[in-house]
Amino acid sequence: MTSIPSELAARVRRQAPNRSRKGSTDVAMSRNGRRALIAFFVLFLVFLYLPTIMLGIFSFNTSQIVAFPLEGFTFDWYRRAGASEELKQALVATIWVGACVAVVATALGVLVSYALARRAFRGKSVISAFVLLPLVVPTVVFGVALLVLFRPDDPVIPIPLGLWAVLIGHVVIALPFAVLLLLPRIASIDMRLEEAAQDLGASWLTTVRRIILPLITPALIASLLVCLVVSVDEVVIASFLVTDQVTLPVYVYGGLRLNVTIPLLMPVATVMILFSSIVILLAEIIRRVGERRVGIRA
Amino acid sequence: MATRAEAPPIQLEQPNARLRRAQERLASYSMSAPALAVLLVFFLLPIYFIVRYSFGLERFAKNEAAAELTGELFGFSTALWRDFLGEGVDLALLGKSHLAVHLPTFVVGIVFVLLVLGAVFGRRLSERYGTWIVGGSFFLLLVPFMTIPAGNNLLRLLELESGGDFLRLFFRSVTMATTSSVLAVLIAFPIAYFLAFGVKKSKYTWLLVVIAPFLTSYLLRVFAWKVILGDQGLVNSALFELGLRDPDNPLSFLIYSQFTVILVLLYAWVPFIILPIFIALENMDRRLLEAGTDLGASRLQTFRKVTLPIAAPGIVAAFLFVFIPSMGEYITPSLVGGNTGYMFGQAIWVQFVGGTLNWQVGSVLSIFLLGIVLFLTFTTSRFLRQGGGATA
Repeated sequence: MTSIPSELAARVRRQAPNRSRKGSTDVAMSRNGRRALIAFFVLFLVFLYLPTIMLGIFSFNTSQIVAFPLEGFTFDWYRRAGASEELKQALVATIWVGACVAVVATALGVLVSYALARRAFRGKSVISAFVLLPLVVPTVVFGVALLVLFRPDDPVIPIPLGLWAVLIGHVVIALPFAVLLLLPRIASIDMRLEEAAQDLGASWLTTVRRIILPLITPALIASLLVCLVVSVDEVVIASFLVTDQVTLPVYVYGGLRLNVTIPLLMPVATVMILFSSIVILLAEIIRRVGERRVGIRA
Repeated sequence: MATRAEAPPIQLEQPNARLRRAQERLASYSMSAPALAVLLVFFLLPIYFIVRYSFGLERFAKNEAAAELTGELFGFSTALWRDFLGEGVDLALLGKSHLAVHLPTFVVGIVFVLLVLGAVFGRRLSERYGTWIVGGSFFLLLVPFMTIPAGNNLLRLLELESGGDFLRLFFRSVTMATTSSVLAVLIAFPIAYFLAFGVKKSKYTWLLVVIAPFLTSYLLRVFAWKVILGDQGLVNSALFELGLRDPDNPLSFLIYSQFTVILVLLYAWVPFIILPIFIALENMDRRLLEAGTDLGASRLQTFRKVTLPIAAPGIVAAFLFVFIPSMGEYITPSLVGGNTGYMFGQAIWVQFVGGTLNWQVGSVLSIFLLGIVLFLTFTTSRFLRQGGGATA
């Protein structure tokens, strides 16, 4: 039971930090301390971004080996990577698996999030913990476990190794991400909107279509994009389960282990990094827009 | 869903309310069902099967004769587990004291008792003794490593035949993971502190700039370091170019070493763990800082007595966020680790698809790793939830 005064007090407490008398910077750090921290921050950003930028720069270098000094500018590696039939097939496979994973994981995620976001029911905490469990299980362990499940000569479940098996593994590891993105959004929908719709005679289908779906669309898109990236970037599980047709990360991983095709891999890596950064940023922007839209809650 | 809509729109009487509640419960279960089914069949079932492999209940060989050839167990046995826990180690061969050889076994026993306790009383233990459990279990995990004499000879790939060495390999992986986690926290804290207290304009944009690299492919970030640190890589070639180093004599510790693995793990996780620390600091009541200075404390005293204790749960969460995935790491050591940077996750890989194929031994290793990870997750869920809630 929260009384109004205590709620008010809580609100005041929440707002108080922003209305402090002195700037909190003065209290938290001296002027020299701040300078030192700025320097550290800049160094940190260099440390963080330099490696990938180097990868980008050297993907345009003419030399066969990746070493200083830079020799000359060329698009040759990109052209060669683009012409490689093997890479093209890996790309298609990766996108195909990623798209399916995004759709399936998001669909499962919406349903389970809706159930978890609404009233308490027995086993709710167990289910929510269970759905998030794949986040902490080491991918190596999960990868070998799936390999055991699908082992070709004596499968527990008769699904052949290959892209379908990869798809299943990726759905399991993408599901927690979908739930983490969707659950808060669905929980923030004012339940009275649904009740009002039903009181006004809307069928459940109409309620879903006209009330729920528009409110969660940004979160849905964010979930689709994040699940896509989770799958497209995943290498451990995929490397256990692929057969002849590899995915792009498995191709890159194989090339890196053999140490021969590194210049050819650099344009692939550069494009992949750009791809996931753009998609994730897009997801974040859409999610924030959606947050603003349902932000006002009675 | 369907059942819910059939309920009359307005419920005033008691029986109807109860009926509606029952219908909603049914709806909740039926909506959770598809996800739960997928997880049961493709997540729990495979893990159950590796448990069976680890006890010899499943095997690669088709019949007993073939099992003898592949060196697999045929039928239930705890032999592999006993081997793994160090019973089969030849003392004379290792030339070590009795204690040093058996300590890991004791420790693993203790850890497993804790694991059961954690699974059963996880939440309650975590609320009450979480900090002690974290501290205590790390101490326990690190002790056996300290009993191993210096030098990596023991742990070379070729010597990983007997079970006891897998255990040592695990403890060494733990030490590497701990080192990189501690360093990651030491780097992340000042950054989070600066973002929380030092940046006034567009704080959250800077936060996104710092975290963004974490969201790109893990593999490709490891790739970047391989290119930078290789014998002919960017650092070495730059040193040759500047005449600081002879081309025939590159800085070889830069790649294929423990150093590289620790560096790359640190690099991969630092952006992510800034978040929990930042949130702990950001949610702190700033007036406490002012109160500290007003009462005559120096900045350092305020930091030590006020800021640090308040940020502590965020720091622990940050540590765990690096530590837990690092223990089972496989990509990083296999690309930049070489022999001295060899880790436990690779040993699992080798048993299943690489060189020495033995799925039963690999299953023992997998279940052991999984057990430790789950134990840590259960007993520290208080911290993880705080950090996890922040990321959600």
